Amino acid sequence: MTGEQLLLILPLIIVTATSVITMLMVAAKRNHAVSCFITAVGLVLALLSLIIVARHAPQEVTPLLLVDSFNIFFTALILLAGLAITLFSYPYLCNLEDHQDEFYLLLSIATLGALVMVGSTHFITAFLGMETLSVCLYGMVAYPLHRQETAQYPMEASIKYLVLSAVSSGFVLFGVALLYAQIGTLHFADISAGITQGIANGPGSEYFVVASLLVITGFAFKLSLVPFHLWTPDVYEGAPLPATAFLATVGKLAMAALLMRFMSVSGVLQSDAITNVLSIIAVFSILGGNLLALLQANLKRLLSYSSIAHMGYLLIALLTLESATGAASGSPGTSLGAEAVSFYLTAYVVMSLGAFGVMMVVSDSGHERDHIGHYQGLFWRDPWLALVFTAMLLSLAGIPLTIGFIGKFYVFVAGVQGAEWGLLAAMVIGSGIGLFYYLRIVYRMLTPLDHDDPLPVAGIRDVIPHGILLVLLVALIVPGIIPGSLMALLQSVVQSL
Amino acid sequence: MLEWIGLLPAFPLAGFLALVLTRGKLPRRIAGVIGVGSVGLSFALAAAITVEFLGSDALSHTQVLWTWMSVGNFTPGFSFYLDGLTVVMLLIISGVGFLIHLYSTGFMADDPGFARFFSYMNLFVASMLVLVLADNLVLLYLGWEGVGLCSYLLIGFWYDNPANGYAARKAFVVTRVGDTSMAIGLFLLFQQLGTLNIQEILTLAPQQWSEGSGMVVAASALLLGGAVGKSAQLPLQTWLPDAMAGPTPISALIHAATMVTAGVYLIARTHVLFELAPSVQILVAFVGLATLLMAGFTALTQRDIKRILAYSTVSQIGYMFLALGVGAWSAAIFHLMTHAFFKALLFLAAGTVILSLHHEHDIFRMGGMRKKLPVAFWSFVIGSAALTALPFTSGFYSKDAILLAALEQPQYGTLLWLGGVLGAFLTAIYSFRLVFVAFFGDDHTQDAHAHHSDDHGHDDHHHGPVKEITGFVMAAPLVILGILSLVGGFITVPVDSVFGVHEEHHASTLVHGFMIAVPIFGVLISYLLYSGAPQGRVLQQWLKSMRESAFGGGLTRFWFSGWGMDALYNLLFVKPFVALAQLNRKDLIDQFYGLLVELARISNRAIVLTQTGYLRWYAISLIGGLVLVIGIGVWA
Repeated sequence: MTGEQLLLILPLIIVTATSVITMLMVAAKRNHAVSCFITAVGLVLALLSLIIVARHAPQEVTPLLLVDSFNIFFTALILLAGLAITLFSYPYLCNLEDHQDEFYLLLSIATLGALVMVGSTHFITAFLGMETLSVCLYGMVAYPLHRQETAQYPMEASIKYLVLSAVSSGFVLFGVALLYAQIGTLHFADISAGITQGIANGPGSEYFVVASLLVITGFAFKLSLVPFHLWTPDVYEGAPLPATAFLATVGKLAMAALLMRFMSVSGVLQSDAITNVLSIIAVFSILGGNLLALLQANLKRLLSYSSIAHMGYLLIALLTLESATGAASGSPGTSLGAEAVSFYLTAYVVMSLGAFGVMMVVSDSGHERDHIGHYQGLFWRDPWLALVFTAMLLSLAGIPLTIGFIGKFYVFVAGVQGAEWGLLAAMVIGSGIGLFYYLRIVYRMLTPLDHDDPLPVAGIRDVIPHGILLVLLVALIVPGIIPGSLMALLQSVVQSL
Repeated sequence: MLEWIGLLPAFPLAGFLALVLTRGKLPRRIAGVIGVGSVGLSFALAAAITVEFLGSDALSHTQVLWTWMSVGNFTPGFSFYLDGLTVVMLLIISGVGFLIHLYSTGFMADDPGFARFFSYMNLFVASMLVLVLADNLVLLYLGWEGVGLCSYLLIGFWYDNPANGYAARKAFVVTRVGDTSMAIGLFLLFQQLGTLNIQEILTLAPQQWSEGSGMVVAASALLLGGAVGKSAQLPLQTWLPDAMAGPTPISALIHAATMVTAGVYLIARTHVLFELAPSVQILVAFVGLATLLMAGFTALTQRDIKRILAYSTVSQIGYMFLALGVGAWSAAIFHLMTHAFFKALLFLAAGTVILSLHHEHDIFRMGGMRKKLPVAFWSFVIGSAALTALPFTSGFYSKDAILLAALEQPQYGTLLWLGGVLGAFLTAIYSFRLVFVAFFGDDHTQDAHAHHSDDHGHDDHHHGPVKEITGFVMAAPLVILGILSLVGGFITVPVDSVFGVHEEHHASTLVHGFMIAVPIFGVLISYLLYSGAPQGRVLQQWLKSMRESAFGGGLTRFWFSGWGMDALYNLLFVKPFVALAQLNRKDLIDQFYGLLVELARISNRAIVLTQTGYLRWYAISLIGGLVLVIGIGVWA
């Protein structure tokens, strides 16, 4: 490994160093504020280091990692989301009757796992990243164990996630092993070489299909696509809000980016069987997710169901990706599908983070406001938070002038170009159902509250979370009105795929 | 100066925003200054632009502000177009508008909705300016709908009376019929010519279409539909008399001087299309003729001071349509201008009368107001003289031009001319009937017996002593408009280059003499009939007996109701529509959606059962899902 290659993995090194330093600081003397500060500074430094990295990209760092503009963009997005959650966590955890510092430790290691995932073009790093992320998430989900009466939910959620995630990892490993037996390497690119020899279609392709589907099933579990979605609401609900937010944003983002890289490099979509299965999964995810959310009163569960649907929309765009190595490269579908995926992911991160951010601002570790009734009359009680929440929900519903609308529009255009009419029909129906439950929350926020339910008074330490909400609101509306510059950026990002 | 043309609608728009965003919390004085000042600035700028434009040799000026949207070759720009016609319209809108705004500060002084009133008025002026400045039909349509919205808002300004709300809705719905026709016309033009830029249409149309071809007939007929709706011509005239429910300055600004003449402007602006479709053009003339006669007869029977003026507006716009129909474009615009002066004057004077008499509208409960309301009286005399087209007033010159042009129409010239002269005769009778009844004779304001008065919305008659309410802000506009009504006929409208012809009409002395004599004769008859003069006793007796006879009474009632048009439309459209709505009370289509909702709810209930919370079930589902996925992948 040369010095230049070390420079290229600077973000990974910095985040690793951050966790080490946090650990050492905790060993020396515990201080919540210091731990939070170190983590935040580490993430910011990692973000800044991307400027250096960008000068040397694109390059392969050993066969395991590929540093290109795709990697850099998603690294930046993950670091920003991680940073936001770190800063949201501080006021949330302040009154926890236990040590708070380890949460930041877990958070930075989980971020490291996510960064490895978006950089990997090889099953070893992909699996390593996934497991690093998951193992930390078990801890984050189960973090508030200090109170007898409230401990059971985080614990239950964590155990469920641990067991099911382990099963899905088993699927991935088994699939990888089968692929290795057939192809002889673990590099994504070598799969596409095998496909050109005809292992994916025609007689005798069952072996490859089974192997790939095992891998994809494992990925689909992490993205909580139907029928591997059942864990999602329980884990979202049981976990403390920062952990839920992390799982919903960074977790999904890293997994989706990895899946996109896997699909475009390996060219598995050239197999008709796999495309068919994924289409069915997409339709069921969209309809199932939206229908499950319909009458849900717990906002964490509601957002978890809505995330199922959103990942379904994303899968439509993923299906329009055509293999970069295939003969179809250069056709308009190639970059449009990838652009749509990237845009949708960006939009999804902004709007989920905003929605969870509002919930985090009005909650703390002792009292989580995750029921729809807690938000009744918010427009009269705190117009600013209500405004942010409404904007986020409208964006999730895909109302114009928000980033969510442009994202959905992008996916739609990609679907039209790919002539995926059935999928688009599901998307239209799903969006129609989705509108109902998002607007129901807005409606409740407008309905006056007859009894008193004081919100936490925003103090000095809430300045930063409110500031982040403002930034998210701007990031929601500006690309919704003038999406041109973000589109141009994403076009250059997906060129490297 | 010409590049500042974009500021013309920007001033009143800014005024509107300022008044709306402060939500009526500004002190009245400041709200008034904003409301009047913004229009005043527009007028000053319009005057400066006019001077510069007319001083230069340019025939037109186009100012592109920005491109609105760009879809294929559909690129409507936010661009303004200035030529002689636009200049005339600009000065009328901003000038007369400014005077009416000024007057309103006095008229509305005690109204709780003072700031709201001025915000709507400003928005109206801004929309109207956009309408006349637009260089493409999309932008024109924006202004067109904008003024329609403001008209709706201002007719229903005193919304706590349901009748006013009804009148506002009626105006909105009826004009919407015309607007739809116009929108279809725009689609057709774009589909056929590939552009909506007005000047491009005017050059392309003669190249693409031969005279009288089907497309150009259809397009111009559809545009005529829009014009008829906006300008309250047959068969869409029924909304204008009811629109008098709004505050009187609104009637002066929107329903007399500016908005209702937008249809005239539209036809003049797209005159090339109408020249290509002679059948539609002559239809315009006959629509105008029929409307002016019908409205004239109706005005003879009305008792409400504002309704008389409303029908006279309908009738005068009929003259403009008549002029357009015979190709006398500049005569139409000329009459549009003089009409704006004298009709605004009449409405504002009527406002003074109404306010001074504590919201009395019925002219038969006024009487003898000549001494008590001198300013209003003289305004009415001047305004009515111009309306009647007595010699040397402004209306004389414009109406003269129209009638002479009508006479020159090759096919139906004599018929149109005779109709127009008959209309002028009626005009003289009804306008001086108003003057003689309201301002001469005995004072009827304290009459105890309740006359049946038409529903005019404002029922709070506090009968107190009559004292003319007039201050500088209310008197000054009357004086200025009065002067303009007298001398406005000497203004030359600079529109020859727009229409490409210089119109001059000549006729024999006999015709001229006849046309001068008819209105004077009408005034004379009116004097004998309505002033209570002893010389006219025979005539008065005859009128009385006519009214009491079965035929005469029926005819009076028929005319009074506006030729039964409201009842007819009620029977033809409203009743069947209501019946259909009753029939579909349960709303079949809605039940379909109700079914969808129920379906979603049931699906939700069913699917939620899978969320058991048991880890073992989740694990099984994971494996079952995998089996399913592989099964589909391998065997499907």
